[in-house]
Amino acid sequence: MHDNEHASHHHEESFIRKYIFSLDHKMIGKQFLIYGLIMFFVGGGLALLFRWQLAYPERPLPIIGASQQYMDEGEVVTGADRMWENIYESEKEEWLEVNMPNGVVEPAFYNMLFTMHATIMVFFVVVPILVGTFGNFLIPLMIGTRDMAFPILNMLSFWLAVLAAIIMAIGFFVPGGHAAAGWTGYAPLSADPQWTGVEWGQNLWAISLLIQGFSSLVGSINYITTIINMRAPGMTFFRLPLVIWSLFIVAILLLLAFPVLSSALALLIFDRLAGTTFFSATAEGGGDPLLWQHLFWFFGHPEVYILILPGMGIASELIAVFSRKPIFGYRSMVYAMIAIAFLGWIVWGHHMFQSGMRPGLGSVFMTTTMLIAVPSAIKTFNWLGTMFRGSIKFTTPMLHGIAFVSMFVIGGLSGIYMANTPVDIFIHDTYYIVAHIHYVVFGGSLFAIFGGIVFWFPKMYGRYMNDVLSKIHFWLTFVAFNCTFFPMHILGVGGHMRRISNPMQYEFLQGFEGMNIFITMSAFTLGFAQLILVFNFFWSIYRGKVAEQNPWQVTTLEWEAPTPVPHGNFGQIPTVYRGPYEYSVPGEENDWIPQAQPEHAPATSGD
Amino acid sequence: MAEMHQRSPLSNARLGILVLLGAETMLFSGLIGTFLVFRVGNVTWPPPSHIGIELPRAVTGINTVLLLLSGYTMFQARRAIQKDQLKQLRNWLLLTGGLGLLFLGVQGSEWIQLIRNGLTLQSGVYGGIFYVLIGCHAVHVLSAVIWLFIVFGMAMAGRFSAEGYVGIDTCTIYWIFVVALWPILYVLVYLF
Amino acid sequence: MLQWLPENVSTFGQSVDSLFYAIYYLTLVVFILVMGTLIVFLIKYRHQEGKRAHYIEGSTTVEIVWTAATTVIVFGLAMLSYPQWNNIKSPTQFPENPDVVVQVSGKQFNWDMTYPGPDNEFGTDDDLELENELHVPINAVVHIRLTSVDVIHSFFVPQLRLKQDSLPNRFINVWFEATKAGRYEIPCAELCGFGHSGMLGYLNVHTQENYNAWVQERWPQ
Ligand code: HEA
Ligand code: HEA
Ligand code: CUA
Ligand SMILES: [Cu+2]
Repeated sequence: MHDNEHASHHHEESFIRKYIFSLDHKMIGKQFLIYGLIMFFVGGGLALLFRWQLAYPERPLPIIGASQQYMDEGEVVTGADRMWENIYESEKEEWLEVNMPNGVVEPAFYNMLFTMHATIMVFFVVVPILVGTFGNFLIPLMIGTRDMAFPILNMLSFWLAVLAAIIMAIGFFVPGGHAAAGWTGYAPLSADPQWTGVEWGQNLWAISLLIQGFSSLVGSINYITTIINMRAPGMTFFRLPLVIWSLFIVAILLLLAFPVLSSALALLIFDRLAGTTFFSATAEGGGDPLLWQHLFWFFGHPEVYILILPGMGIASELIAVFSRKPIFGYRSMVYAMIAIAFLGWIVWGHHMFQSGMRPGLGSVFMTTTMLIAVPSAIKTFNWLGTMFRGSIKFTTPMLHGIAFVSMFVIGGLSGIYMANTPVDIFIHDTYYIVAHIHYVVFGGSLFAIFGGIVFWFPKMYGRYMNDVLSKIHFWLTFVAFNCTFFPMHILGVGGHMRRISNPMQYEFLQGFEGMNIFITMSAFTLGFAQLILVFNFFWSIYRGKVAEQNPWQVTTLEWEAPTPVPHGNFGQIPTVYRGPYEYSVPGEENDWIPQAQPEHAPATSGD
Repeated sequence: MAEMHQRSPLSNARLGILVLLGAETMLFSGLIGTFLVFRVGNVTWPPPSHIGIELPRAVTGINTVLLLLSGYTMFQARRAIQKDQLKQLRNWLLLTGGLGLLFLGVQGSEWIQLIRNGLTLQSGVYGGIFYVLIGCHAVHVLSAVIWLFIVFGMAMAGRFSAEGYVGIDTCTIYWIFVVALWPILYVLVYLF
Repeated sequence: MLQWLPENVSTFGQSVDSLFYAIYYLTLVVFILVMGTLIVFLIKYRHQEGKRAHYIEGSTTVEIVWTAATTVIVFGLAMLSYPQWNNIKSPTQFPENPDVVVQVSGKQFNWDMTYPGPDNEFGTDDDLELENELHVPINAVVHIRLTSVDVIHSFFVPQLRLKQDSLPNRFINVWFEATKAGRYEIPCAELCGFGHSGMLGYLNVHTQENYNAWVQERWPQ
């Protein structure tokens, strides 16, 4: 066979080829991870800014606000203040003055904050990490091939994402401010600057998302082609690990969903820049006020499953590995994911129950939406079934996996309230929705991401992450997360609307001040906990305990590759002999049989 | 490339292009859906303010035939390379590209005429969606033509043979998609 | 958790609340079962030296059972909800012959209320326009014609369990019947620009006499 064919061309690569314009899927995966983590801090920081306003409406922010006031009142000039004075000179002062006069978040700025918070979190954090990082890093390794089908497109995908992020960031500093129509960008509000005063911000938002769409398109073509065409010998579809299945399905969803958003964004840009009236009903010969919502949610609902399916895949790996058991009902897990992906296309109307869509359609969408509980139930119960009679090891990745399951169940069950049309009348556009969002995307996707990072870190960087810090991060995140987002259900039941900058303007919300303060405090704790993660991450890259090739004793192919994984991944492409979850097979010495281990070969020792 | 992969009936490049077409289909679905929302939502179409502006049905009908013809010639080009007939390949490619350019030319002159008649991007959703939808297709034809001429250049340089003609295959797949899409748009926008 | 619900003052509000309660108890039970099982498993099947996991690949019977059970539950829930939803939102199901008809129009950032006046027709001289104040009698069927002059707003009265987006260039009808006199807030529930927070109107539910007096004052005859 082709022994060492690749090992031979082990030429040195320049720094730029290796770390920046790398064609290697592993490096691109890591680049997406760093990118996602940076954007996570931006998006989270914005959330903390507006959380402050929600807890203490019209009160100046600490630090930023205080310095500003000192400036105004000419009090105590400290070193920090002198620093501010310099910023005062530049245009930064104006910027702060416009958006946060005296350190108080302006209502218009508040809208920009949550718009960008959500846009960044959804399009620049969760998708890049779940799909970009895990997709790139895991697909070639787990299906047993040397790289992606189109490495150059792969690199392009990352750099397009960077370009999109830069354009999105510029939006904050253009006159008129950034997009302020929510991450859903509802037209007509977003379609004409006269309604928001936002000029180029909204355009840049749309352009940036168009570019991000290209990046996803290129990425998903790559993933689909690679998974269909480049599996190692013996790696049939039903021997693929579930995380690969989930990434495959998500690539198809991304491929088909994003172009719909692109078409909507293109129409929006025409409305804003070329004088068309697709979305504004008030104009002469005008368009349809609900058109945008249909287009957006036709993309948007598949998008939320893009945010969760890879998380489900990762959780399945973690739970099987650390229960030392095969996945319960492997095939039904696959079919359930396909069913979720399929049903995801016919439920978009559940975001529009109160939008003025025909009530009859509401009933149809309620039915299809509720049906999604069925494949979700299959997945949930199968995870429980996987733990049943297992031998559960409480490693940090496993803790994240368990947290994923339990938080997803809470988020999913709150989805049932909203899917129910009469109940949705009351809770639509309240904090009940915000609670749901965060239980599924933070409690779901992010816990899976954290678990995945800790789990695959030894393969990525050849070292363990510090376990004590990881555990502290997990527990702090878990507790603070629930303290932040669980009370939001109660706010929602109380009728607390979302997207309002000052709840104290409403009499019926007066009783919620204390709860809002509590939520904000918890959110800051939650933010603090993420600092631990990032510190641990970078520290461990250089200082972590060196890891062996297969530290968790996993069966799948990525652990067959040497650590650190060389260019070309495998010395010789492995041949696959069995399914991905052969744990605790009776009569075997080890409690795991690698996928690449030939039949009847004597079992090799685990470590 | 001599890796032991599962034998696949389609090479990566061909599969990649087919996958791309999935995305293209959804892009046009979004625009066609928008068109239908306006078309079905308006009792009179074109809306009363546009009565008197006629879309050039007949000319476009002929243009449609031209484009369909180019699909045939593209197919012939592929047949030619399969038989290793390089000269025929070049001729068929040239003919295809010419038909594509002709299509664009006719479309362009139609647009100029329509704009003179007062149908512009700004004239309500009728003009808006007409130009955006048809324009989106035109951009696709244009990129297909450019791609075709690149392939033509490669053919001149003798880069294809009966053993290796992936470049022609991928271009053919894309070309056929662009061609096959057009009659749908023609029927919807001009006749429906 | 549901004691946080604002007091219900509309006739159909009860049906929304009971569905809310039904789902609450349903999901509570599901939640407790799932979490209970999870915790029991985590304790019982934790890793112990010398004990190996059992090799179980799945069980078709069990899969069929829980698939079927979930399907039945969600369909049942949907069945329960259709009539309630139609009762609240389907114009064909509205109680006929409303006692009061008002047009409510959202605009950045106010609610404009238009009363048709004694002739019961909009667009005539005796129309009455009020900013942010809606007056209706108690125990009377009120029809609201919702529209908007600029962007999308959403008419929300928490105590009525009523929420409906208002769209530019469209008229959407909703109805309610208030059962308790008082002054209730009408926040806007759809993001509509920088003034969205604080876009606030008031619904005044009067007793019949007070309402008559109010009408008398506006349209003296
Ligand atoms: C990862 C993201 C994600 C996921 C997975 C989901 C999953 C679901 N979502 Fe969610 N949703 C969002 C992200 C997500 N959502 C976001 C971001 C929004 C807000 C957008 C915006 O307006 O800004 C939203 C909004 C949203 C709405 C609109 C609300 C409104 O604006 O009024 C609705 C309404 O139906 C809904 C429903 C559901 C349902 C039914 C599921 C189901 O898939 C859940 C299924 C899971 C379970 C049900 C739990 C497990 C099952 C069992 C334990 C079995 C037993 C269960 C029963 C018998 C019921 N979602
Ligand atoms: C993908 C997902 C995602 C994630 C991970 C989050 C994470 C968080 N979200 Fe977000 N959120 C959304 C998606 C997400 N959100 C969406 C889709 C909406 C709807 C938006 C809309 O209505 O259009 C929303 C809306 C939303 C609202 C409602 C706003 C409103 O309607 O008015 C709130 C309110 O509390 C909120 C809070 C938070 C908090 C506290 C976190 C925390 O988890 C964040 C954790 C904190 C950090 C990671 C920060 C770490 C950084 C530092 C410690 C540095 C400190 C720096 C500074 C203070 C400058 N979010
Ligand atoms: Cu009007 Cu929000
Ligand atoms: Cu949805």
